[in-house]
Amino acid sequence: MIWTGPPSLRGVGRFVETRRLLSLVLIGALVWSVASVGWGDGVIHTGGSDALKAFILGLFPPEISPDFLKVVVAATWQTLVHAVAAITLAIVVGLPLGIVASGALGSPGRARLAVAGTFRFGLAVMRSIHELVWAMLFVTAFGLSSIAVVLAIAIPYAGILGRIYSELLNDVPDAPLAGLRSSGASPARVLLYGRIPMVFTDILGYTFYRFECALRAAAIMSFVGIRGLGFEIQMSLHDLRFNEVWTLLLVLVGLVLLVDYWSGRVRRNIQS
Amino acid sequence: MKLPSERRISFVKGSFYGFLVLTVISWIYILAGSESGIEDFLSGRAWRNAGGFLKQLIGIDDSLTGGAQLAFLDLGRWIETAKLAYQTLLMSVLAISLAGVAVLLTFLPAARNVSNGDLGGMPLPALGVLYHLLRFIFAFTRAVPELVWAMLIVFFLSPGVLPGAIALALHNYGIVGRLSAEVVENMDPGPARSLRSAGASNLQMLAYGIIPQTMPQFLTYLLYRWEVVIRTTVVVGFVNAGGLGREFRLSLSFFQYTDVALLIMWYLILVVAVDVLSTVLRKMIRVD
Amino acid sequence: MISAGHLVDGQGLGKAFGEQRALAPLDLKIASGERVALAGPSGSGKSTLLYILAGLVSPDCGQLFLNSLAVSQLRPGRELSEAVGLIQQQFDLVPQLPVVQNVLAGRLGQWGLFRSLASLFSPRERGLALEALSRLGIDDKIDQRTGQLSGGEQQRVAIARLMIQSPRVVLADEPVSSLDPAQAEEILKLLIKLADDVAGVFVASLHAPGLIREYFTRVIGLRQGVLQFDIPADELTSSVLDALYDLDRTA
Repeated sequence: MIWTGPPSLRGVGRFVETRRLLSLVLIGALVWSVASVGWGDGVIHTGGSDALKAFILGLFPPEISPDFLKVVVAATWQTLVHAVAAITLAIVVGLPLGIVASGALGSPGRARLAVAGTFRFGLAVMRSIHELVWAMLFVTAFGLSSIAVVLAIAIPYAGILGRIYSELLNDVPDAPLAGLRSSGASPARVLLYGRIPMVFTDILGYTFYRFECALRAAAIMSFVGIRGLGFEIQMSLHDLRFNEVWTLLLVLVGLVLLVDYWSGRVRRNIQS
Repeated sequence: MKLPSERRISFVKGSFYGFLVLTVISWIYILAGSESGIEDFLSGRAWRNAGGFLKQLIGIDDSLTGGAQLAFLDLGRWIETAKLAYQTLLMSVLAISLAGVAVLLTFLPAARNVSNGDLGGMPLPALGVLYHLLRFIFAFTRAVPELVWAMLIVFFLSPGVLPGAIALALHNYGIVGRLSAEVVENMDPGPARSLRSAGASNLQMLAYGIIPQTMPQFLTYLLYRWEVVIRTTVVVGFVNAGGLGREFRLSLSFFQYTDVALLIMWYLILVVAVDVLSTVLRKMIRVD
Repeated sequence: MISAGHLVDGQGLGKAFGEQRALAPLDLKIASGERVALAGPSGSGKSTLLYILAGLVSPDCGQLFLNSLAVSQLRPGRELSEAVGLIQQQFDLVPQLPVVQNVLAGRLGQWGLFRSLASLFSPRERGLALEALSRLGIDDKIDQRTGQLSGGEQQRVAIARLMIQSPRVVLADEPVSSLDPAQAEEILKLLIKLADDVAGVFVASLHAPGLIREYFTRVIGLRQGVLQFDIPADELTSSVLDALYDLDRTA
């Protein structure tokens, strides 16, 4: 595009260039990544397409024999229990961390910013590592146990929750808070009566979403040896029992969607 | 007969107490169950194990490696593992790109106001079916964890960057797809309607009215997900999809703990790099 | 293409949204050269009537003919966009697009799909847009993102789009409600010129009696969807308007 306007408005050209630059970067990334893959015959391995067909057929019907269903229920319970423990621990740790990191408490000034900054850095470190990586490290360090797995999920999740909580608490419009402050409320009271009520639904919504993620995380903890839905999926896949795999998949998906639905319903009921 | 508002409050209260009970039961099960490991923690055995592991990680205790060079101080190792880091980065970009393209192709019919003609299109019954089908696909692909997708896909495709990327792409497709469809649903219909009065056909309205308004949010979601994807790319490597993850698992099983430390360092470098890049690119959208 | 009958011929146009009756069946005939003002309190049906005239909303009952063409038979595109164009109260431009694209959108009725898409990347007929914008004094903004312009500038972009579209029936929903008197007169003159240039018709909703008497030939009063009066503009008195808006000045 040729900029034909007066030279004094070259600043406008900068906006135009940014958009072009962004599009170029994104399309370039797409092309680079696709081209870098070794496309060719080796992509689908021998027997792969047969396996795929067998797998798809395994859906009709999924395995529902009573013996297997007992296994499914036990696995679901394992996964659910680990997820609930992990998310509750994450909330208990993440909420105070988030409050401090938001800088809402404590007297204004550089000290408070420094403290908030340190906490924000700490949260960033916690949430940089995926829960399964934490799990592999913890299991190697502490040995295989439910507690190690729950901690492995809770630590990054506390970091994530803390960061989101601190951002939500910070993004609150100042006007109502100024009103509370002028009637003599301390920072703690402003927090309790002002900030938290205003963002409560958002906090709840994101926490529910994290609970959904915790369910998925608990499921894949099978990788370090904990029983659960992921463990059973691995077992059934290994034995090529695709009907069983489908049952487990459907239960996992069902569980996640159930939580999603429940979350939506609770939030709708609160808002009215 | 309870009033609707009373029923709503009791639903919320019931949910809260129900979850509280579930929490207590879960913690009891975790702490008292057979695999809980609580004795190890209380007796200190777990902490001693961890201390030992930490020492091996940092390289203070080199009993297992027999005094070999610490991996993270070895330039040669850094260069070797750089290739793996590159593979991991590539996998993450590929995953995001595939998910992004797939969303662009399918998010419009997945929006209620497009499929039922509110935005001025024709309310065909076929579109209604497509809407429900797409929403179901979003929900399903989103609900299955990336690692499970990877487990399934590695069954059919030879191990490598591609199966990992596809697994990540599938999961994120569901997430970004639903969010993007919701952006269309919450969109201000004014500009699109006004284009109608200028004589635009459905497709023209799409190109001039709907796409430009939804692109900024779509790109923002995609870039946010990239930050999550780079962390998960390593995990997907555990099922032999390549990159840092595969090497991580191997090193762990061969007790090469200083290698593990090196790989974690690379991991953190990638995570920070992607976080920064994502923030920079997202700021460019704002200016846009 | 001058038709024998009226440019705008609406018979028994009515519309309800669910339970709400927005417009009671009304007849409306406008000949070319007329400038019609729509007056009435909010909710009186002015916007609904304008949307029906623009072909954006189909009436529940009645028929509308523009330039002797039945609007219900017109698909969006060349015929409709040549017949009628509307400026909405919120202007409703696409904020993310540069000004030139929003202006050239007035040609969408004439362009095929391929040309429209190509133009998004490299604007066709840019000179046309430049000319329209310079007549409105904002040609320097042509490549700026529309969302960054001020309200007044955005209104001019919307007018530029209408200029390019060049419809015979020019409609405007509350074009001057948030403007000061000088700006209001300027905008009205621009819009009227648009209509006069094609021997067309100008219909706008507004409240100011002074402006109505000076710039319009005819005024229609609506209240809760029902027609109250349809009189020549110079017969409009303050008391008639007050009654329409239910203002009790004697209290």
